[in-house]
Amino acid sequence: MSSQRPNEPVLHRVCLRWRWVSVTAALLAFVAGISVAAAQPTYVLIGHEAPDFALHAVSGSNVRLSEHRGDVVVLSFWSSRCSSCRAQLASLDKSLATYRSAGLQMYGINVDDDQTRAIESARGGQTVTFALLLDPQKTVSRRYEVDNLPMTLLIDRNGIVRYVLRDYSAKSEDLYLQQLRTLLNE
Amino acid sequence: MNQLSIWEWRAVCPDRPFLGRAARALASAVLAASLAMSGTALAQNAAPATDATTAAPPAAAAPANAAPTTSAAPAGTGAAAAAPGGPAAPAAEAPAEGAPPADTRGLDEEVQGLKKDVVDLNRDLFVLEEELLFPANTQVAVFLSMDVGDFFALDSVQLKIDQKEVINYLYTPREVEALLRGGVHRLYLGNLKVGKHELVAFFSGKGPNDRDYKRGASLSFEKGIGAKYLELKINDRQRKQQPEFEIKDWE
Repeated sequence: MSSQRPNEPVLHRVCLRWRWVSVTAALLAFVAGISVAAAQPTYVLIGHEAPDFALHAVSGSNVRLSEHRGDVVVLSFWSSRCSSCRAQLASLDKSLATYRSAGLQMYGINVDDDQTRAIESARGGQTVTFALLLDPQKTVSRRYEVDNLPMTLLIDRNGIVRYVLRDYSAKSEDLYLQQLRTLLNE
Repeated sequence: MNQLSIWEWRAVCPDRPFLGRAARALASAVLAASLAMSGTALAQNAAPATDATTAAPPAAAAPANAAPTTSAAPAGTGAAAAAPGGPAAPAAEAPAEGAPPADTRGLDEEVQGLKKDVVDLNRDLFVLEEELLFPANTQVAVFLSMDVGDFFALDSVQLKIDQKEVINYLYTPREVEALLRGGVHRLYLGNLKVGKHELVAFFSGKGPNDRDYKRGASLSFEKGIGAKYLELKINDRQRKQQPEFEIKDWE
């Protein structure tokens, strides 16, 4: 490094350059921060009444959501092509076995275009005790603004959407159980 | 001279402290904005989670490696603080529990009165809304009723008026049970102009011998001035051992 101090005009020019670099870097950081914050998805139905629907079940009778007012309802949107969905359905089934007597209702809503594939998947690979509903037209998934699979909604006893889980992992499972207990205790 | 790197120039630049402060302030603003925006996005999930953790027993919530002295100290102080307050609290609450009935009775009656007013107002608004949205001159209502139901288990009804699907309704077992008990379901309420129209209804369900069963029924009707009421009736025809579907025009 040189120990010689530069003359004044050069110093002034370089300081201007340094100032420009600093301001640009700060602006870039600001834009990056904003975009990261904006990337966090929000779910518009939280705190709102869950849209009512009636769907065919793979086996059994039709299901209408509004008939379960007074129960805590868990809706899980899934597809037969989604591997983590299967693991999640099995996990949800365990929680249903534990909390069914406390007033828990659970439905898996299949969003496959091909109903036969969904039915085969439901009858073959998936062995869950709760009803699997078919939404091939995706009318219900659109109303619930499903943007990720699996996606799980927790609806309280008053029919209000309280929580949403957009993925499946051990961490999200713990969070799900916490949230479920909160709703069941209300 | 000009071979000096930007970091060396930064060291000799006279307004370096100002730039440093400005950069720090801007960085703080960026961080605060990011945290605020991501905080609002996550608050919906995070807030109830924190509620749940606070509701959990403190022993379970405390980290395992926390110093015993720190966890014991608040517990001791908490117990000490609760001890003097403990006996005093029931004594203070005892008269309060005895007093309210006289005061709250009036309040309860007032609340009940308000609830009744709300229900009445809601009913009036509902009637007003129907009158505005479906005026008597153009109103068409389609009802569905079911009798016996030994030969047909209703699943869904699709309704078309003038070749246009107006409703596709799925019936749940509870609704079917209500229909079998004599209930009548208002399937559709809409508006039609005066003149000739055609109504087509498709009934799906399980027929005799638990087979999938789908039948249709149609009716051409004249809409005049005044409301029009139509009824879809599902009956059992004992002689043929088959269900019967008909559309009745309520004149």
